[in-house]
Amino acid sequence: MTTSLQDETLNPILRSFDHVLSQLSTASSAGKATYQGRMLDTIKRLLKHPHGIAAIEPRIRELDQAGIFDGTDWAVPSSLVPGMVGNTLRMADSRTVALECVSLLRFLAVARETQSQPGLPAEHARHFLAQVLALNLDRILGAHHEAARVKAGELDGAVDRLLKHILASVGTEGILGQLVDEVWRILRQRPIQVDHVKSMILQIALAMNEQQQGFSASDTRLGADRLISALFGPTQLSREDPGLQTYRDRLGAADTGTLQAEATGMARAMHDTGLVSDYHGAFLRFVLESGQSYLVSDALGLSSTGLDSFRCYQALVQQLIDVAVRPGTAQAVLGIALMLERGILYSPPIAPSLWRLLGARLTPNCEAGLIAAFGADATPHQRLVAGVMMLLGQPLGIGQGNNPTCQSARALSMWALNDPDYLLWQLAQATSNDRVIMHFEGQPLDSALLPAGLALHTPLDADPVSVVLVPHLDRIYAEMGRMVAGRGEDPHRWINPELHGWWVGREFHIAVDIATGKLHEYDQFIRDFHTSYNPMHNGNEPVIHPQPAGIAVTDSQGTFVGWHAISIIRVALDQSGGMRVYFFNPNNDSGQDWGHGIIVSTHGNGERLGEASLPFAQFTSRLYIFHDDGLKTASEVPVSDDEVVTIRELALQSWARNRL
Amino acid sequence: MQTKDPQKGYIAILGWSLRCIDALEKFDRRYVIVAPQWAEDYATQHNIPFVSWDFERLNDRSFEISAKLREMGVDVAIPLFEETVEWAGAINSVLMDNPRLLGQSMLFRDKSLMKRRAQLGGIRVGIFEEAMDHTDVIRFLKRVNQTLLKLDGDPNDPIHFKAFDKAGCLGHRVIRSPDDVAAIADDEFPALLESHLDGWEFAVEAWIKDRKIQFLNISEYVTLGYSVFVPATPELEKYRAKITEQIEKLIEVFDIDFGFIHPEYFVTNDGTMYFGEVAYRPPGFNAFELMERAYGFNAYQALVLSFDPKATQEELDAFFPTPVKDALGHAGCFGVYPRRRVVSELSIPSETEDDPYFEFHELAPPMESKVTKRTAFGTHWGLVYFFGEDPHRLRDLLKAQEELDFYV
Repeated sequence: MTTSLQDETLNPILRSFDHVLSQLSTASSAGKATYQGRMLDTIKRLLKHPHGIAAIEPRIRELDQAGIFDGTDWAVPSSLVPGMVGNTLRMADSRTVALECVSLLRFLAVARETQSQPGLPAEHARHFLAQVLALNLDRILGAHHEAARVKAGELDGAVDRLLKHILASVGTEGILGQLVDEVWRILRQRPIQVDHVKSMILQIALAMNEQQQGFSASDTRLGADRLISALFGPTQLSREDPGLQTYRDRLGAADTGTLQAEATGMARAMHDTGLVSDYHGAFLRFVLESGQSYLVSDALGLSSTGLDSFRCYQALVQQLIDVAVRPGTAQAVLGIALMLERGILYSPPIAPSLWRLLGARLTPNCEAGLIAAFGADATPHQRLVAGVMMLLGQPLGIGQGNNPTCQSARALSMWALNDPDYLLWQLAQATSNDRVIMHFEGQPLDSALLPAGLALHTPLDADPVSVVLVPHLDRIYAEMGRMVAGRGEDPHRWINPELHGWWVGREFHIAVDIATGKLHEYDQFIRDFHTSYNPMHNGNEPVIHPQPAGIAVTDSQGTFVGWHAISIIRVALDQSGGMRVYFFNPNNDSGQDWGHGIIVSTHGNGERLGEASLPFAQFTSRLYIFHDDGLKTASEVPVSDDEVVTIRELALQSWARNRL
Repeated sequence: MQTKDPQKGYIAILGWSLRCIDALEKFDRRYVIVAPQWAEDYATQHNIPFVSWDFERLNDRSFEISAKLREMGVDVAIPLFEETVEWAGAINSVLMDNPRLLGQSMLFRDKSLMKRRAQLGGIRVGIFEEAMDHTDVIRFLKRVNQTLLKLDGDPNDPIHFKAFDKAGCLGHRVIRSPDDVAAIADDEFPALLESHLDGWEFAVEAWIKDRKIQFLNISEYVTLGYSVFVPATPELEKYRAKITEQIEKLIEVFDIDFGFIHPEYFVTNDGTMYFGEVAYRPPGFNAFELMERAYGFNAYQALVLSFDPKATQEELDAFFPTPVKDALGHAGCFGVYPRRRVVSELSIPSETEDDPYFEFHELAPPMESKVTKRTAFGTHWGLVYFFGEDPHRLRDLLKAQEELDFYV
C-alpha cells in the first residue's frame, strides 16, 4: 500500500532524526554547535520527503527547545525580518535553507497557537507569515525566474511545498491584496500560458468565498472580483458560474439584445484581463452553430482593423474558431482576436499556411508529445491550432517554461512577430516529418539526425508550439554551436543570423574577451551600442526588426547569474521623456530585479503587451552582445564621457566585477 | 546542569574537542581544558574551565604546567590527540610521582620503538625496519620480495611506509615500486617500514583500569582509511577471546596500569594475530561517536573513568555495557575523499541519502575547487555516518560508498 511504502522511507529518517534530536537536546551549551549541523541535515532529508513537513510539525517545539536556533540569528524570532526570508530560502547552503524552513514552521506553530513564544504574539506570527508568502508569490505561483532556474537548489521543491503548506494553513487573507496585484502584474504581460495564474485566481476565489465578511469593498476586493468574474462569470447570463450546459440553454432562450450584451461583455472581460472564460468559448461556438456569426466580431472585441481582417477572411477565421476554441482551450479566443488586429492575414502566404495547418495530420510523435504535455481533453491537433493562434496573437507572450531553451523561445517569438510565414513552415516540417531542416552557412542541418541539445526532454511546461518545435530547434542550435566551436569567438556571432533570420545584423559586438572572460574594449562597446540603437545618437533611426541581444543576468544583489538571450524590440522615449529599451525576455516573467536599482519594468513606462523595458543606460549596463546591420547611420552624435562612465560603473559593480 | 562530585578530584583534558567538553559538562567530574590560546574566547564565553597552553614542543616548561595543574587539584591528565600524548605522560609522571609514565608515553609516540618493545615482549609483528632515506626504502622493498621468492618481473608485494609520530593514516604510504619511493619527500624521513600482511585488519578500543580490561570494542575496517563500523561482524567477533589475550599481553609488555589504548591488528587466514601499532589516545575516524550510537554510552566519559585514580570498580562496572550483546545496532562511518581533480560543490549522492541506514554527514562544502593531489593516505574531507541492524548490509553499504562522488 502507498501509506506503508511512505512509512518505509520515512521511518528510517525519523529514527536518525530522533537520535540526533536527543543528542542536540542533551548537549551542553558548549556542545550545541557541534550537533546543529547534523540536525539540519536530517531536517533537510525530512523536508525533501513528501510527508516530511507533517512529520516535522509536531517536533518543532522540541527542536526549538533542543537549541536548533542557539547562537544563530534565528534565536530571537521577534527580531526576524520577513523581507530576508526569500533570499535565505534561495541560498546555496542547504543547512541555512533548512534552518529557515524550521523557523517558518515555528512561526506557523505560534500562529496556530499550538506553541507560544515569548515576545512573539500569535497575531505577529501570522502577519510575518503573510508577508513572507506575499513576498515569495513567484514560488507559490510557480513562475520561474532566470536566476532561480540557473541556481536551482536541491531543496527548491521542498521549499515550494512548505510555502504552499503555510498558505493553506494561514489562509490567503492579508496576502490577498498582494496576490491580486501580482496576478494583475503578470497578466499585463499577456503570457500565453495562464494556467498557474488561473489556479491562483481560483485560490483567491475560494479564499474570498470562505471569508466573505473579512473583506470590505476595497480596491483589492474590486481587483480580485474582476479577475474572478473574468474567469468564472464574465457576463450577465454567466454571472453565478452556472455551468456550461445551463449557460448554453440560457443562450438558446435569449433574445438578440441579450446576446449582443453577452458578446460585448465577453470581449470586455477578455481584453481587460487577458483571460478567457470557458463561457466565452461556449458563446462563440453557440453563435457559429446557430448561424448568428454576425456576433463573432463583437465577441472578439475587434477594432476596425480587426473587423476588416475578419471580414476578408471570415471562412478561415470561423474554421479556426471551430477547431481551436474548445472547453480548456478557450484562451485561443484572445489569440485569434489579437492576430486579427495585427493584420498579418493580409500577408499573402499566411492564410494558405493556416489552411495547411487546419488540414494537417500530425505524426504520432507530435501527438504523443502534445498529449504528454496537455492531456487528451482536446485532440492534439486542436491544441496545436489553439497554440498557433495564441503565438501569432501574442508573439511576446511565449515563455521558455522551466527549460534551458531561451534561444529557441526567442526564435519562436521573433518569427511570430516578424516572419509568421516562416514559423508556419517550420511547424509544418515538424508536424508532417518529425524533422526540421535549417541551413548553416550553406550546410543543411536535419534535426532528426542530431543528438539532443540543451533540453534533454520535450518541454512539458511550455505552450503547444514550443512542445512541437523546441526539441528540433534546440538540437539545431546545439549543432550550430558545435560547428563553430573551434573558431575562438563567441558562437552567437554566426549562430544568431543563421538561426533567426536574414534580418539579424551581421556586425557583431561583444563586451568580453571569449578566451579570458574579461571586459574587452568596453567603452567602445558602450559607444557602439548608442550609435547603433539610440535614436539620439543614430540619426533618429528606429529599430526595424527585432534584434537578438545577450544579457548578463544579475540577481537582486547585482551578482552575476548567467548569460541570457533576449530580443530588442524598440528603443523609444517614454511618457516622461526618458529613452528606454523595450525588449522581449523569453523568460516567463520579465519583471525582474537585476540589483542596484535596476528593476525591469513591464507596464507603466510605455510598454506594449509582453514588452519589458529599462532606461537606455541601465539596459546597456547589463548588455554584453548585440548585432548591428552595418549600415552607416545618417548622422552620428557622439556619446558623452559621463554617460559612458555611468554605464561602465553600473556594469563594474555587478556582473563585470571580476572582469577587468 | 550536571552536579559535580566533590569527593573526586579534577581531570585535565589535553586538547580542544567540543564533543569531549560536551561529554564532561554532562558528567559528574570536575575538569579543566588545557588547550591552545585560540580556544580561549570560546571557553570564556561558555564558562568552560580553561588553561591556555602551547603544545608545540615538549620543553622544560612541562614541569610548570604540572605544578599549575596540581595546584588546581588535578589528579590526572588525559591526552586527546597524538601530539598531547607525551605531555600527558610528562604531567602524569609528576602528578602521580611515577617517572615511568613519561618513558611509556614516549614508546606510544614512536612507531619504531613501539614495535621493538612489542617484539621484545613476544608479540608477533611483521618484518619492519627504520628508514633514514630513499635507499633504505628500496632495499627493504627488494629484501622483502626476495624473501617471498619473487623473480625479477613478478609484481612486488607492497610494503608500508609510516611516519614515526603521526596519528592514524597521516603519513602512511603503500609502496609497490621504486617509482613510489621516488614520490616520497625528503622531509618525511625518518620513517618506519613494514612488510604487508595479507589479512583482515581491525582496531581495538580498550579501556583499562588497574591493569584490567574494563571494556573492549572491536572496530572492523571495511577498507583501511575509508570506513569502519562497530560492533564488528560475528565473523570477526569470534576472535574476541584471542584478541582479549593479545590486549592483555600488550598491557603486560607496555606496563599499562590505566587509561585507554587503541591498537591495530591483522588476523591472517590461519587465525594468527599480528600487532600493527598502538595509540594511547582516542582513535581518529570518530569511533567514539560510533560506540555512543551503537551502545549508548559516552566514550569520553569512559575515558575519564579509566584515567581517574579516584574512580572505583563499582563505578566502572555500572558504566560499561556488555560488549556486542548490549549493542542497539551497528554504527559505521565512511571517510570521504573527493574523487575528481576539480570540484565545485558538495552533493550527497541520492543512493547514500535515500538509504535507510544513512544517518547524517559531517562534510563541509569545498573551500577551493582544486583538489590537492593525495599523497600517502591523506586526510579525508569529512565523515558520513550510518546505523542499522544488519552488520553485513552495513559493511556492503560502506564498501559501496567508495564508488560514489560526494564532491562534484
